[in-house]
Parts: sequence; structure tokens; C-alpha cells
Amino acid sequence: METWKEFEANELTHSAAHHLLAIHEVGSKYGGWARVSDIARKLDITRGSVSINLRALKKRGWVMTDEHHMVALSPAGTKSVHVILAKRAVMKAFLVNVLGVPEPQAEIDSCKVEHLLSDESGHRLLQFMRFLGSDPSRKKLLTRFRTFDRECPDNRVCDVCQGRCLMDELDRAI
Amino acid sequence: MRSDTLRRDERLDIVDELNRLMAEEAEACLRYFQLRYRLRGIDREAAEPFFANGLKETLEHAEAIANQIRALGHIPRLRIDLSLSGGPMRLQEALAEALDVEQQALDAYKDFLPRVVGHPVLEEFIRRQIDIETEHVQEIVDAVRAGSPLKLLDSSNQS
Repeated sequence: METWKEFEANELTHSAAHHLLAIHEVGSKYGGWARVSDIARKLDITRGSVSINLRALKKRGWVMTDEHHMVALSPAGTKSVHVILAKRAVMKAFLVNVLGVPEPQAEIDSCKVEHLLSDESGHRLLQFMRFLGSDPSRKKLLTRFRTFDRECPDNRVCDVCQGRCLMDELDRAI
Repeated sequence: MRSDTLRRDERLDIVDELNRLMAEEAEACLRYFQLRYRLRGIDREAAEPFFANGLKETLEHAEAIANQIRALGHIPRLRIDLSLSGGPMRLQEALAEALDVEQQALDAYKDFLPRVVGHPVLEEFIRRQIDIETEHVQEIVDAVRAGSPLKLLDSSNQS
């Protein structure tokens, strides 16, 4: 499957991830159970939308409801939430601590990719950060990276870009 | 507790809640609009009037709420975030979705009622909406239980 189609077919959509996180957050104050109205407020959408979206989450076995229309995460849903939160934390730590991205931007970007990042890439990112932090010489490397001059060579040729200047293209996008 | 005697923050809270209710109704209207075209199967033609009626009623409810907001001296603020998929749907499935939306609207009116008790105009309006929505939810529940659109069409023709 082409990568973009794989992206579309991802079983945990951005919307589904946010519904699960909202149920987790709202429900944490009430023994795991959340009201549709509170989920709607949290997500700033209508109760009708939440109710319809919950049908899909229920079908996938991520949430359960009781006779009073209260909603809770199933064990599978709870596991998904923990995975999402872990990936968000890993991604944010990488953006802030390694790349030096400002925290507000890192928060937004990690939220965007938290449910799309594969388990493998999540593990490797974590390993990479542990690698950097595990030795004084590697920490020094990180410090050197932070002061690295981002200016490209005049001839616009480097090992990373291999023939076209990606920095120029990124700047153009901005 | 008349509107002119409401404290500013109380009035803003009530208007905020009315805006939410209006969004529920306006969104339900769009769902009915689109559900009509998603219907497939032998019941489709017979069931279409029910969804057309749902569209009309929810729009009327949204307008009635907008008028209440205007009576409180505010301009209605409609905020909905909706993307409706276009897959075909069987009648039972469409009714289940309509029931979900109507039940949520009913619950929203019920939750709001205690906030307007003592405000004659709003209280009467919300109580009337609860009566209408209760009846509507029951109609859909009956139709779903009957497993046939006939029951539903009867009620749609009466209104």
C-alpha cells in the first residue's frame, strides 16, 4: 500500500484519538466514567457528534456505555490511550530536548503525530534520546548541535540534501 | 428572574448554553439532510419523508432557539464542526443515528431546564421543547422496535 493510503487507513484517526483522550481525562475525575455532555464540552463539539462518533469507537471495542448513557474506556481503549500519551511524550521530548523546538510548537506537533507514529519509530526515538543522554561525550554532541549554524553552504550541496537544497524548500514553504 | 433583571454573567451563561442547543439542532438538521441521500434498500422511498420532516423540524427548532437568544439581546453564534461521510446506509442504521442525535438533544434540553426555572418565557420554551423531543424520540424508538418504516411514516404524516 502506498504510504499516503496507509496514512488514511490508519485505524486510529485523529478524531478517535481525541475522543479517547477526552474520555480518559473527563472520566479520571469520576472513576473512569464520563458524561457525553462533558466529552462534548472538552472537545468543543456537539453532544450529537460525540454520540455518533462513540458508535464507531464502541464497534471497535475501545469504549463501553452503561444504561445511564455514561461512557468509559474499555481495557483496549485504556491501552490505546496509554500508547497515544506515551508517543506524544516521546515526540515532544525529542522535539524540545533534542531538536530545541519551542515547547508550545512541540506540543502542537506532537499532538498531530501522536496517533500516527509507528511503535517502531516511537521505540527508536526513545532509544536515540537515551543514547544521547547516556554519556557525557554524547551530551556534548547535543550541545554542539544546539549551536550548529543552520546556514547552508554557498554551493547548496550537502550530504543530507543530495542535489537539492531542502532548507531552501522549507524556507519557501514558510 | 426576567431577562432584564438577569445579571450580565448569568445572561451570558444562558446565551452560551442556548448557542450550544442551537448547534445541536442545526447539526441534526444537516444530518437529516444528508441521511436522506444515504438511504438504500427497499424502504428508501417510503422512509424519505420522515427524514425530510426531521430536517424541517430541527431547522425550526434551531430558529426558535435563535429567536430566544435575540430576545435576550444577543446575536446567535453558530459553531459546528462537522464532516459527514457519504457511504450508503440501511434504514435501521439511519434511524439508530437519528435516535442518537434526538436523544442527545433531549438530554441537553433536560440538563438546561434547571438553569431557566423561574424565567417564565425561557422555562416554558424549554419545557415545550422537552415535550416535543420526548415524543420524537419515542416515535423513533417505536419504529426501530417495529423494524419497519410504516410506523414511522404514520407519525410523519400526522405532523
